[in-house]
Amino acid sequence: MNTEEILNLASEVVRAWDWTSQVERPRPGQLDVYISSLAELVPVVVGLRVKRLGYLAAIVGLDLGPAVDALEVLYHFCPGDALIALRVRLPRRDAVLPSLCEVIPSAEVFERELAEMFGIQITGLHTPERLYLPDDWPDGVYPLRKDFDPGLLNTREGEPRS
Amino acid sequence: MTDNTAQGFTVPIGPQHPALKEPGHFQFTVDGEIVTRAYVRLGYAHRGIEKAAEARSWTQNLYLLERVCGICSHIHALAYSLAVEQLAGVEAPPRAQAIRVLVAELERIHSHFLWMGVSAHEAGFDTLFMYSWRDRETVMDLLEGLTGNRVNYSANLLGGVKFDLQAAQADSIRRGLDFLEQRTRHYLDVVSNDAMFLQRTRGIGVMTRAQAEVMGAVGPTARASNVGRDLRVEAPYAAYRDFPVRMALDERGDLEARFEVRIRELFESFRLIRQILDDLPPGELGVRLPRRIPAGEAVVRLEAPRGEVYYFVKSNGGDRPERLKVRTPTICNLTSVVRLAVGHQLADVPMILAGIDPCFSCNDRLVQLYQEETGEGRSMSWKDLRQYGIDFYARRQA
Repeated sequence: MNTEEILNLASEVVRAWDWTSQVERPRPGQLDVYISSLAELVPVVVGLRVKRLGYLAAIVGLDLGPAVDALEVLYHFCPGDALIALRVRLPRRDAVLPSLCEVIPSAEVFERELAEMFGIQITGLHTPERLYLPDDWPDGVYPLRKDFDPGLLNTREGEPRS
Repeated sequence: MTDNTAQGFTVPIGPQHPALKEPGHFQFTVDGEIVTRAYVRLGYAHRGIEKAAEARSWTQNLYLLERVCGICSHIHALAYSLAVEQLAGVEAPPRAQAIRVLVAELERIHSHFLWMGVSAHEAGFDTLFMYSWRDRETVMDLLEGLTGNRVNYSANLLGGVKFDLQAAQADSIRRGLDFLEQRTRHYLDVVSNDAMFLQRTRGIGVMTRAQAEVMGAVGPTARASNVGRDLRVEAPYAAYRDFPVRMALDERGDLEARFEVRIRELFESFRLIRQILDDLPPGELGVRLPRRIPAGEAVVRLEAPRGEVYYFVKSNGGDRPERLKVRTPTICNLTSVVRLAVGHQLADVPMILAGIDPCFSCNDRLVQLYQEETGEGRSMSWKDLRQYGIDFYARRQA
């Protein structure tokens, strides 16, 4: 399959599973899918996986800032040289996402990262523990959020972080 | 004392002793010698580079990101440069792209030689370790002669490269490659024919094609399981369109295959570098970038020595990136290979880990015994431990 065929197939898959999500082609070789409701996320991923388009390159979290009051999560699937981006918007407070682990086991590390860096609660994760941050990292502090205060880390060794 | 036979014991490995880079902590639950469950904890080398990148200018980040990895530093700077060039809507001239690929392939040679030494060391084959690291000095000298640095070559600029290739440098690279190629032929013979070494590699850590695909393995680890995932071929970037690569694949999926695939890639790198030296396109070494990087998102995927490197860069039109995400190949391979460890002998685990080239040498074990369910640590004297072992196997035999 060439890139164009891959993207057409992906576009069909998305429409077949979820006709409410919007599909866009921002540049050649890329397909953006704006997932309309969280319930559609896992079915769409299953659909991509069934058609062998399910190589998950990465899951990227974005904090759009307190002004917009939203987080965005990008699921980048990269079959061949194509790029399929599933885009999910979440509120900054009480952000919850379903886990993809049952469909794509390699999603686990990205989801654990999302949880600790952005404070997104991932439901259905097998090992919800921290992956990268230290054991004594304060709860409720998410370093990749835009309003994170790095001054928090100015403690001497051995002192507890407030 | 509770009966531990049902849960097994958890053997902690690391994070204190990894010799080279990326300290990590593993917990392997064992039933006798057989691993029944594996757990990874990372983050001991987490430096917050993604967050730091948001506070630095587009140019400063080039230097920051070159330092993500000490071994494949060029590929990170290249990925970032390509992403920024994509956002700015410019493309580096052909000569610059060819020099970028030249450095990338020299880096691949140095990385594969380094890995060969490390995994030979894990197998207890220190002669191969010493020889391959001695030979690696040749390629390090070539890189130093070309870029001025043994590591963190700093070859890239946003929009091009910093230096041109002189005829004398090309000659010394050719001479160095002749030596390395002859050595590599010898190593291929050693890893595919040495009976002792094959006992540690043949049929160990087998990953089937289906497993590699589902678990998202990348790079030589995936190619050794016959998954045709090589971005130099799939999605040629920089000068790989003009200088195509042949993909090295293997069907066996075990450690031996991972050795052979990497060594065959070395030959391909030698061939490619010679071709670039012969047909280096003439022209400029760089283009000017616009003063402002326009708003937008860029995804760049490159084939690092260990597999796919993924960069996501988002600009909001300001003087620094809004968000930058780096995903390195080790995280993909580590999670897949840790699952593979289940069912293997504990003694094979260091080799299985080294087989993906994360550069671990956590061979230390059994410092403290953890009771799995409660997580309580407790110490045992050597005598008690020995008696426990005898009882354990006696119970199992009965």
